[in-house]
Amino acid sequence: MDLKALLEHHVTDQIWARIPFGPIDLPLSKHLLMMGIASAILLIVFPLIIRSRSAALAPFRGMIEATVLFLRDEVVVPNMGHKGAAYTGYFATLFFFILLMNLIGLVPYGATATGNLAVTGGLALTTFVLINFTGIREQGLLGYFAHLVPKGVPLWLYPLMFPIELLGLFIKTFALCIRLFANMIAGHIVILVFICFIFIFGAFSSIFGFLVAPVSIGLVLFTLLLELLVAFLQAYIFVTLTAIFTGAAMHPH
Amino acid sequence: MEALIKPEIGLMFWTIACFVLLALLLSRTAWRPLLQAVEERERAIKHDRHTAETARAEAEKLKAELDAKLAELKAEISSRMDEARLSAEREKDLLIEEARKSAGVIIESSRREIEAQKNEAARDLKNKVAELSVLAAERILLHQLDHRANTDLASKYLAELEKERPELKLGGN
Repeated sequence: MDLKALLEHHVTDQIWARIPFGPIDLPLSKHLLMMGIASAILLIVFPLIIRSRSAALAPFRGMIEATVLFLRDEVVVPNMGHKGAAYTGYFATLFFFILLMNLIGLVPYGATATGNLAVTGGLALTTFVLINFTGIREQGLLGYFAHLVPKGVPLWLYPLMFPIELLGLFIKTFALCIRLFANMIAGHIVILVFICFIFIFGAFSSIFGFLVAPVSIGLVLFTLLLELLVAFLQAYIFVTLTAIFTGAAMHPH
Repeated sequence: MEALIKPEIGLMFWTIACFVLLALLLSRTAWRPLLQAVEERERAIKHDRHTAETARAEAEKLKAELDAKLAELKAEISSRMDEARLSAEREKDLLIEEARKSAGVIIESSRREIEAQKNEAARDLKNKVAELSVLAAERILLHQLDHRANTDLASKYLAELEKERPELKLGGN
């Protein structure tokens, strides 16, 4: 059994076709499909739940409402101030988009779109744009770059600090991208490894394989539950860090 | 394995396009109605609380007012009672005094009446006794005309008696 091929099959994207589009060609892939499903749920189901007045949907409405209010009151406003409340919609979209893509990865036949560097990179890029956009909007172009270096730094350190802070801007978002990607992929790889244990031990002798199987399955279940936690946690962390970075860009002091 | 860490630029484009579109559409279709509903509810709750607080303050004010009024009324009642008691006392004293006075007058007039009656009776009695004496004397005289000496004696005794006991003197005063 080829572990490498197995991992690649389960973890990496499968591109079915490519559409040429100017200088880049747009792939049609499994991860894109999963992203599309997440988007469809967000676009169709969420407004339906929120706008409906039926009692059957009330619990779901309550869940969405509680989450959005939590994001507004605990994540966006504390980090970005009351002006930031206007961005609640952006952060709610980001949170639910990431969360849904994470969760779809846990469903059978699903794939984790957020376990793809291009997807997390794209999300990090939007965060990068948001940070700079709100910073420049709040302080002006010159003010934004002037406040890039924290206050209290001696003047002679500015030539050193300015490039570092500028670089930090990219590193922050790059770290966001890598963090989400690695967290989402790690669980899958661990699960695959636990399952492969059964076959590795089974290759020695079938008795070994049967002995290892229950242990492996138990560990896989545990890891799956852990992944469920991580799915929520990483969506929350991505949103919170975006809010913190954006808040820091808006209010440099 | 390099497919895992080599970002597909096209997919990145898809992601960004997808997310930006979602953010734009959902802010209109989902988050705005949601937050509006929440804000409306928060406002309604705040309004309700404000109304309840106002009503409570009003009720407390009213209660204080009523309490004050009640205390005032109690004070007035007790003062009126005192006044009434005092006036009743006065009235009673007055009545007793009047009764006493009128009783005194009645007693006085009765005494006077009695005195007058007594005098009248005495006068009558004196007259009657005198008449009886005269009649008795007449009889005696009729029986003992010839005994002149007895008559003399009788008058002599009578005179003596009158002298000895003036209170028996008939037709005195």
